[in-house]
Amino acid sequence: MPVPRHPLLAADDAPGAAAAGASGSPPCARPSRTLVIGLGNPLVSDDSVGLRVARALQTRLAGRADIVVTEDYWGGLRLMEQMIGFDRAIVVDAICTGAPPGTIHHLTPEALATQRSASAHDVNLPTALAFGRQAGAHLPADRDVVLVGIEAQDVVNFGEQCTPAVAAVIPRAVDEVVRLLESFLGGLPR
Amino acid sequence: MKRISIDPITRLEGHGKIDIFLDDQGDVANCYLQIPELRGFEKFCVGRPVEEMPNLTERICGVCPEAHHMAGTKALDAVFHVDPPPAAKKLRELFYSIFFATDHTTHFYALGGPDFVVGPDAPPAERNLIGVIHKVGMDVAGKVLKMRRDGHKLIKMMGGRAVHPNWGLPGGVSCGLDEAKRAEIEKLGRDAIEFAKFSLKLFADVVLANSQYVDLIKSDMYTHRPYNMGTVDANNHVNFYDGKIRVVGPDGKEKFKYDAKDYQQYVAERVEPWSYLKFPYLKKIGWKGFVDGPDSGVYRATPLSRLNAADGLATPLAQQEYVRFYDTLGGKPVQPTLATHWARLIELLYATENWVRLATDPEITSPEYRVLPTETPTEGVGCVEAPRGTLTHHYTTDERGLVTKVNLIVGTTNNNAPICMSVKKAAQGLIKKGEVREGLLNMVEMAFRAYDPCFGCATHSLPGQMPLEIRLRDPQGTVLQRLKQFVD
Repeated sequence: MPVPRHPLLAADDAPGAAAAGASGSPPCARPSRTLVIGLGNPLVSDDSVGLRVARALQTRLAGRADIVVTEDYWGGLRLMEQMIGFDRAIVVDAICTGAPPGTIHHLTPEALATQRSASAHDVNLPTALAFGRQAGAHLPADRDVVLVGIEAQDVVNFGEQCTPAVAAVIPRAVDEVVRLLESFLGGLPR
Repeated sequence: MKRISIDPITRLEGHGKIDIFLDDQGDVANCYLQIPELRGFEKFCVGRPVEEMPNLTERICGVCPEAHHMAGTKALDAVFHVDPPPAAKKLRELFYSIFFATDHTTHFYALGGPDFVVGPDAPPAERNLIGVIHKVGMDVAGKVLKMRRDGHKLIKMMGGRAVHPNWGLPGGVSCGLDEAKRAEIEKLGRDAIEFAKFSLKLFADVVLANSQYVDLIKSDMYTHRPYNMGTVDANNHVNFYDGKIRVVGPDGKEKFKYDAKDYQQYVAERVEPWSYLKFPYLKKIGWKGFVDGPDSGVYRATPLSRLNAADGLATPLAQQEYVRFYDTLGGKPVQPTLATHWARLIELLYATENWVRLATDPEITSPEYRVLPTETPTEGVGCVEAPRGTLTHHYTTDERGLVTKVNLIVGTTNNNAPICMSVKKAAQGLIKKGEVREGLLNMVEMAFRAYDPCFGCATHSLPGQMPLEIRLRDPQGTVLQRLKQFVD
C-alpha cells in the first residue's frame, strides 16, 4: 500500500469500524470497551484539531486493549456506525461558538453540534444513535457519549497547521480526554 | 419588504441558507441561496506532485470522497497519457458502483425519503430517518444499516482505507482482487440488489400509490424544462464511471455529445455578485438568466437528468424500472424535479446490478491491473458521474509533474442555477399573501433537497473572494437592499 505523503492522511483506517461486528447482523456487545474518536478534516486548519488530539492519545494510551482511539471525518450515521460495539464514546472535534479560540467545551450529543458531530447530510447524532439501536446495534447510551469541543479560529481555509491559539491547547485537550477516561475507567497512564 | 430565512437548510451539508424576499403584498419577490465557502484549495494544491491529487481532492468533501478520488485518478491517466488495462477499468467501475449504491441509499432514507414516506407537512421532529422507520417498520432500520455497512466494508477492502481510498494510480489501481474477496463482493452485491428492489417497492407502495404524491411530483410548481446532462456508454446507456457527456434538450433530443476533455468548449461558468458559487451553463446556447427552455443554457446534472440524457440502462431490472418511470410520468424527458427521488432509486438498482455484473466478470481477478506511465506529465481531465451530478477534475502540471493549475466542476455546481430556479418557483407557488407555515417552508426546501446538493465541496473550487455584502435587485437592476453575510 502506498505511503501517503501528508502526515495526517494516513489514519482513517479506523479500527472502530472493524470492531463493529459482522455486517448485516447486530454485533455482539463487548463489555467495557471505550471509543475515543477524533473528528476533522486534516487539510482545513483548525478543523484538524480533533485528529491531532487523537494522534497524541494513540501514543498515550498504547497498550490499553479496552480503549480504541481512532479518527474519522464525519458525523451523523457514520459516527454512530463507528460507535457500534462500544459502551462509551468520547468524541473530540472542533467547535465554533464564539468563545475564545482554544476554549475546551464539554458537551452532550443533544447539546450544540461540533463541526463534525452533526452531519446535515444525513441525520444528527441523537437521531443516528436512535436509528442504530432500532436496527439492533449495540451502542453507548446517550449519557455515555461525551463530546469534547475545542473552540476553533479558522475552519474555512485550507492549511496544514492549526492556528497558534488552537495548537497551544492540544496538550491540555489530551489531558482532558485522559481525565474523562479516568473518571470512566480509572488507572490511566499520565 | 419582509425576509424569511431558512437556516440551516435541514438535512443538507454546507449549512446553506435560503433568503426569500416578499413584496408588499406578501408574495414572493425573489429567493437567494447563500453558501459558506471553504477557501484556498487551488493554492493548497499548486506545487504538489500531481499523483497526490486523488488523495487530496477526496478530502475536500465529506460526502462523496470516492467520487473525487475516481475523477482525480482518471485525470491522472490523462495527465500521464496512460490507458489503464481492462481489468483496472472494471475494478474501478466495480468500486464506484458500490459507492454509488451506498450513497444513494443514504440520500433516500435519511434525506429525500422522509418528505414522502412521513409526509411533506409532518412536524420536522418526525420528518427524518426515525420517522421513516416508524412509518414503514422496524426491519427497515436493519436493512439500511446493513446496506451502508456492507458498502463501507467493501469500499475499504478495495480502496485500501475506509472512506478515503488510496487506491487509484495513473494507469490503474494499486491492488486487485483475489477469489475470496471477489466472492464476498458478489455475495453482498446480490443482497444489495434485493435491498434496491425493496426500496423501489417501498417507493411504489408509499409514493406512487398515493395520487396526491404523484400529483405533487408532477405539479408545475416543481417542474422546470432545462437541458439535461449525463454520461453515457457506446449504447447511450447511463454510465457512472466513463463514457461521453451527452446533453439533451428540453424536447428530449440529443443536442451535444462530447468527450470530457473538451468540456470547456461546452460548459462555461457565470459569476453572480450575490453568490460565491459559479453558475455553469451550456456555452453554445448561452446564458439568458435564470430561465429554462431551449434558448437558455441552464442545464441539470442529476439522477433525473442522467436518465433523461440516456436511452436506457444496461442492466435488466433497472431497465424495467426505467420503462415504468417514463410510462408513469408521461414519456421523455421527465422534468418534474421531485421525480429525481425515483430516478435516484432506479440508479440504486442499476448500481447494484452493475456491482454483481462486474463482480462476476472473469477478468475482475486479473493481476493485470496497472500499466506504468512512461510519458512526461502535462495536462489532463478526469470525469465521472458523482451521485449529485457530473464531476470534472482538470489538472495542469509542469514537466516534473508538479501541479500548476486545478479546476474542478463538482456535481452540485452544475445544478446551481436550476436549484435557485426551483426554490424560487416553489416559493412562489406556496407562499401567498404572507402566509408562511412550517409545512410550506419544508415544501420549499423539498425543491432544493431533490438535487441532493452538497455545497461542502462545491465552493472549494472557487478562487474568488468572500463578498462582504449581498445586493438584492429588482428586475430593472435597482438595488433594493444590502445584506451582510449570514445576517441573523
